[in-house]
Amino acid sequence: MFGKAITGGALLLATSLTPVWAQDNKAVTIVLNEEVDVLEPCMATRSNIGRVILGNVNETLTELDVRGDQGLMPRLAESWEQMEDGSWRFHLRQGVTFSDGSTFDAQDVKHSFDRVFDPTITCEAARYFGGMTVAANVVDDQTIDFVVDPVQPILPLLLSLVTIVPAETPIEFVRDPVGTGPYAVTEWSPGQQIVLTRRDDYWGEAPEVTQATYVVRTDPAVRAAMVEAGEADIAPTISQDDATNTATDIPYLNSETVYLRLDASQAPVNDVRVRRAINMAIDREAFIGTLVPQDALLATAIYPPTTQGWNPDVQVPAYDPEGAKALLEEARADGVPVDTPITIFARTANFPNVTEVMEAIQQMLQEAGFTVELQMVEVAEHEVYYSKPYPTDRGVYIIAAMHDNRMGDPSFSAYFKYHSEGRQSGISDPHVDDLITRASAATGEERNKLWSELQAYVHDEVVADVLLFHMVGFARVAERIDWTPTIATNSQLQLSEIGFKE
Amino acid sequence: MLTFIRKRSVASLISLVGLVILVFFLSRLTGDPTDLYLPIDATDEMRAQFREIYGLNDPLIVQFGHYVGDLVQLDFGESIRKARPAIDVVLEAFVWTLQLAVITMALVTAAAIVVGSLAAFRVGGFFDRVSGVLSLVAASAPDFWIAIVAIVVFAVGLGWLPTSGTGTPWHWILPIAVLFIRPFGLIVQVVRGSMINALSSAYVKTARAKGIKTRKIIFVHALRNAMLPIITVIGDQAASLLNGAVVIETIFGFPGVGKLMIDSILQRDFTVVLASIMVTALAIFVMNLLIDLAYAALDPRIRH
Amino acid sequence: MSNVPAMTDGTVLPDEPSAPRRFLRMLWADKFALAATIILLVVVLMAVFGPALLGDVAQKQNLRGRNAPPFDWERGWLWWMGADSLGRPLLARIIVAARNTITVAAGAVLCSALVGTALGLVAGYASRRVGEAIMRLADVIMSFPSLLLAVIVLYILGPSVANVVVVLAITRIPVYLRTTRAEVLEIRERMFVSAARVMGASSRRIVLRHILPVVLPTLMTIATLDFAYVMLAESALSFLGIGIQPPEITWGLMIAQGKEHLTRAWWLSFWPGLAIILTTLSLNLLSNWMRIALDPTQRWRLEMRGRSNG
Repeated sequence: MFGKAITGGALLLATSLTPVWAQDNKAVTIVLNEEVDVLEPCMATRSNIGRVILGNVNETLTELDVRGDQGLMPRLAESWEQMEDGSWRFHLRQGVTFSDGSTFDAQDVKHSFDRVFDPTITCEAARYFGGMTVAANVVDDQTIDFVVDPVQPILPLLLSLVTIVPAETPIEFVRDPVGTGPYAVTEWSPGQQIVLTRRDDYWGEAPEVTQATYVVRTDPAVRAAMVEAGEADIAPTISQDDATNTATDIPYLNSETVYLRLDASQAPVNDVRVRRAINMAIDREAFIGTLVPQDALLATAIYPPTTQGWNPDVQVPAYDPEGAKALLEEARADGVPVDTPITIFARTANFPNVTEVMEAIQQMLQEAGFTVELQMVEVAEHEVYYSKPYPTDRGVYIIAAMHDNRMGDPSFSAYFKYHSEGRQSGISDPHVDDLITRASAATGEERNKLWSELQAYVHDEVVADVLLFHMVGFARVAERIDWTPTIATNSQLQLSEIGFKE
Repeated sequence: MLTFIRKRSVASLISLVGLVILVFFLSRLTGDPTDLYLPIDATDEMRAQFREIYGLNDPLIVQFGHYVGDLVQLDFGESIRKARPAIDVVLEAFVWTLQLAVITMALVTAAAIVVGSLAAFRVGGFFDRVSGVLSLVAASAPDFWIAIVAIVVFAVGLGWLPTSGTGTPWHWILPIAVLFIRPFGLIVQVVRGSMINALSSAYVKTARAKGIKTRKIIFVHALRNAMLPIITVIGDQAASLLNGAVVIETIFGFPGVGKLMIDSILQRDFTVVLASIMVTALAIFVMNLLIDLAYAALDPRIRH
Repeated sequence: MSNVPAMTDGTVLPDEPSAPRRFLRMLWADKFALAATIILLVVVLMAVFGPALLGDVAQKQNLRGRNAPPFDWERGWLWWMGADSLGRPLLARIIVAARNTITVAAGAVLCSALVGTALGLVAGYASRRVGEAIMRLADVIMSFPSLLLAVIVLYILGPSVANVVVVLAITRIPVYLRTTRAEVLEIRERMFVSAARVMGASSRRIVLRHILPVVLPTLMTIATLDFAYVMLAESALSFLGIGIQPPEITWGLMIAQGKEHLTRAWWLSFWPGLAIILTTLSLNLLSNWMRIALDPTQRWRLEMRGRSNG
């Protein structure tokens, strides 16, 4: 009885509705994997929000080129220079209007900045300015100075993370973001869809896409099915298992690095031989093309190879279980308590196949002679182990985590992960601290050289952690769409980069 | 009856207060939302500021005082995640859940009573065997299997229905069909069991002896007798639907209260957790009240 | 089954064969119930001996043989159901996982059924005030989200089989409680209960000897179906990282892990799902058979068939 109703309804539907799905216009539907909680411009560095509004609704002064190798490009700023006192002067673009009709000028930039640091709201963009004081001083309508203490060599890069809103924007979070971008939000039904419509008065070149509808499906198989069924045009993340059609499914390095953090303050992990043995006991190659996508890279740093100051000479530790055993025996002979049970904590659903990867690592470590337990935990509990102050009553543990650095500069990782004061650091090494401090303040070739040195030192001498993979994501793109994902796709999806075939 | 409803409302209000107190204090034992809300590389100032804004530095009892103070003015607090009043977020989602639950349970009740009664009429017969096995498989199959396979077959393969979403009435067919299966399987079994008892009771035998039509015996005389456990189980299933159909909401992109509740629990967005519990609890209390009234209506000997 | 003969003593006629033989004969007569019994015996054997016999094989990983498809008769019988995403034989894993699965499911169902039924009997038969208090308590449990309960218990106490049982048991109490109470309300008005009361039987005796046997069949139906519910709920908890975690295995956990691979390697979640379905089906068929076999007014159905078949 019920089956008949379905069949009947479905037939009716097939004749009446199909044309609506098979859009042949320039509107696109994008199916995202995570709910969009707020549409607040100052939260655009959070990936679920940035994917929708960053570069589409709200723009930034500068922009990192993730498709070519132009480095930092102008967007709302036309040019910038560092003044003699170390502060930065930005010259703003003229003839730019917000979607509410007001004109863009230096006051808007100042207000956007003040808003980010306002104590009555929590803006995520503030995280990139830790340990600095930033003052934005309006020089004239088209010029603004940033005085940063201490002097910040990568300030222009940091400004690619601060979205610009009109000076009239209230301090509290907004639900109808106004920006200078090529699109404006025209509909938001929470839980159902967000619609962006192209603006006619955009300052730059008009993009091809006229309208974009965003929907959210948390199940990866459904996202893949939606593009296949023609209900969506782009699914930025689908699972490795579903990525079976080479014509539509594109792998891309997604700026995430998977690693195991070792806490060098706990015995036996405080012994460098033990840390080396852990590294040698893991057969990283065996994961590639099996539990981890074929295109993933073995990691030698906590940030991806496209980052400034990348050191190509650092080698992945060779898989050597016998060598690991020998090192362990050596340590044991010196009285290191190598039999102490170690727990691996990992987060469920952190990345695809995380449980299987961790089970395999557990077995590899056990084969090398470690006593290892595995515990999968939910995100809140994971955070307890991941960040300082570390719990002291849980025994010796290793934490598996994934770190994202898409910004192209190691400073977004190094301090947090390796400085002795860093919130997720497992080491305390004065030379590392010194290198980080010097590299952060340096510019040009000197900066690259110092970061290279740090990468090699942390990896080869300190053996701070177990770096595993630079991860790969898969996007499914409808055949009519001309678009390729980039390393930044996780956090930003500019509609202006989407074209149509034919 | 009015006295009964009034007394029950007072009792339910007390339960609700107890529930809120319980959830408020227990949920705060599970950690602080600060580290979950803020990015991993947030500065210490940001953390301190966040705690200050949301009053997380106050002793728990003070926080509770604030919460209750706002609550009596019908202010359910702000959702940390969504930066909106928690009650708005919850009611928006609950409307979807309520529609799904009502439609599904109406279909399930009708279908299960017919199938279960027919099965009970000839115990061990062909229809009984087939419907028995099928309903048991339905009650014990993982629902995400059915959901994904249904999408692959009906939406991608045949292109008859949309994969997911909420736009048109067609979007409702797959989620309701999948949601239907488990309670249907369970209630068919309960109807069957209860009807076997009822059909063998002296009362029905008398009716049969009087020459009353079979159909009338099953659906009027026996069913009325068998209804008590059936209604109870229907209520239990409806309650779990009112708490949200997480798998269905997740897979089909239905913005219901189940997914909302899971996300808020995992993110420690306590105001949303509390608001959604209050809303769903209220719905469940009302439903249980209706069920108790139905008991009395079905069987006049049961007095309240 | 050991108390079965005792319960039916009153109705056994002297010229009939002994009770156990009679039951075996009735079981033989109903082929569905027979198959169900065999399946359940196999599950119990798996739970008892599985971990000792196959524990190591079920954990031995082989990344090259990951997601090996089922029905490859070339390899050993352990591989007939294929291999999981770490190349471990699924058949061996299902056998080993039977112990945890059955422990959790039986533990949770028994606890919730016992507590729920006891409270339901009290709520239905005791004074109105007590009954009302118990029912409102049931309302509270019913509206307390099971996931939140799980997060609280497992966050504070840590995930373990016993804690998962506690969480699942608490969430399932209301259905037994409400069902029992609803039936008691009706049954206590029936003639035979009133008669017993007039004859001076104690409340306790009336509840346990007169009312409980009438409620029991419905509760059995619910309990057997709850087996499936509990196994799948446990799967959902594992998936969220608050249930039983690897390297422990349960059928529910296997389903949760196979979910990610559903579209490409269906067998990962299919076999454990099938195991759950078969177990539930068998339990239910057997309980349906038992309620007939134990009911003096219904038993003729089985005996008639037994005679015509044999």
